[in-house]
Amino acid sequence: MIFQKNNSRNISEEIVPTAEEVSTTNNITDEVETVVGPSVNVEGDFASEGNIIVKGTVSGSVHTSKFLSVELGAKIMANVRAASAKIAGEVKGNLKIKESIELTSTAKVLGDIEVKVLSVEPGALLFGKVTMPGIEGAEVRNSRQRIGRRSDEVTEVTV
Amino acid sequence: MYVYLYDNFLRQKKYDSVIKAMEVRLTDYGIAGKILRLNNFIDPKQIIEEEVKRGAKTIVIVGNDATFGYVLSRAATCDCVFGFLPIGSGNTIAQVLGIPEGIDSCDILSKRRKESLDVGWMNNRYFVSQLRVLPAKVKVIYDERFSVSANDKIEVVVCNLQPFFWKNDKRDKDAQMVHPQDGKLEAFLRPLTKKGWWSYKYEEPSIFPFEEMEIISNSPFTVEADGKVSKETKVKIKLAHGKIDMIVGRNRKF
Repeated sequence: MIFQKNNSRNISEEIVPTAEEVSTTNNITDEVETVVGPSVNVEGDFASEGNIIVKGTVSGSVHTSKFLSVELGAKIMANVRAASAKIAGEVKGNLKIKESIELTSTAKVLGDIEVKVLSVEPGALLFGKVTMPGIEGAEVRNSRQRIGRRSDEVTEVTV
Repeated sequence: MYVYLYDNFLRQKKYDSVIKAMEVRLTDYGIAGKILRLNNFIDPKQIIEEEVKRGAKTIVIVGNDATFGYVLSRAATCDCVFGFLPIGSGNTIAQVLGIPEGIDSCDILSKRRKESLDVGWMNNRYFVSQLRVLPAKVKVIYDERFSVSANDKIEVVVCNLQPFFWKNDKRDKDAQMVHPQDGKLEAFLRPLTKKGWWSYKYEEPSIFPFEEMEIISNSPFTVEADGKVSKETKVKIKLAHGKIDMIVGRNRKF
């Protein structure tokens, strides 16, 4: 008990806004994003209407109607839905991206990707199926396969 | 009818000249009114309700951020318009509201540009500027959908009107600005990690905009809401939309 000190004294810095700092805030953009810090764990259905920046760990599911950034060192063990994304960390789960996704050289993705525009930097690791709309042949093939399956099902039913 | 609530610190001699000049300016504008002085034994809600019954339409808080938080956390439900005349040190909320310090604030008051402001609700009371949970082992649950935790202690700061400031190191000038009217409260979580034997170091903060959140812990933790300190094991924080009608300036930050 002799050596026990008050934690508040030991904390290395305090929040003291000075007049100078207050003036600097005027130049900063208004939009507040959701940021998951490096030593924070998030569990559950993580949803946000704005941009999300992940630097820590997320498990469950991630959903945003805007931009998702997974920073280096971050881990996502969840299915992801976003408008666009930039991955520099690790993702274990399926990604359903509306517009574009960028995998940087440090990215590790273990799951299927569904996206319009995909860019992959050399060094990025990807294990999974990539689906991109826009190839007519593939769509026809897919639809044929589906029809085939349906007819099989129908035949199965009739038999 | 205007009623002016003066903070107790304004009794100091150094504020005499500013207050006199302000009173003259208010009389010139024809908005001078009854002056009440606050102290620790006065409940602002009670006196505001009495004055509203007597016909007061506008309650003007005269002082700094502490005065502003002290009055509005208790009187947020009162049916009147609030004004603010910032005097002295510790005035960051006034900047957000677009009210200049000192005599010029009287001009803003006379123009009566009204806006509805959101307030935070914590357990059974309101908070206007900021709520802070001192570093403790807590778990935060957002909108009953996802939970946030850290390996060691976390400091939680919920901002409504007052901006939140932090530094990654001493040279850093990083700052975040929070809007009072964006329909959400902003929670800043800063986990602490051990540095050396006894001391702790703040990690990079996490930011979560939210409408409802719960902070739970097995052991009691300290909560500071608008300067009022209490010990809790479970705190429920909600957003109350457009609870306060406030006279604001043209240069407001929202």
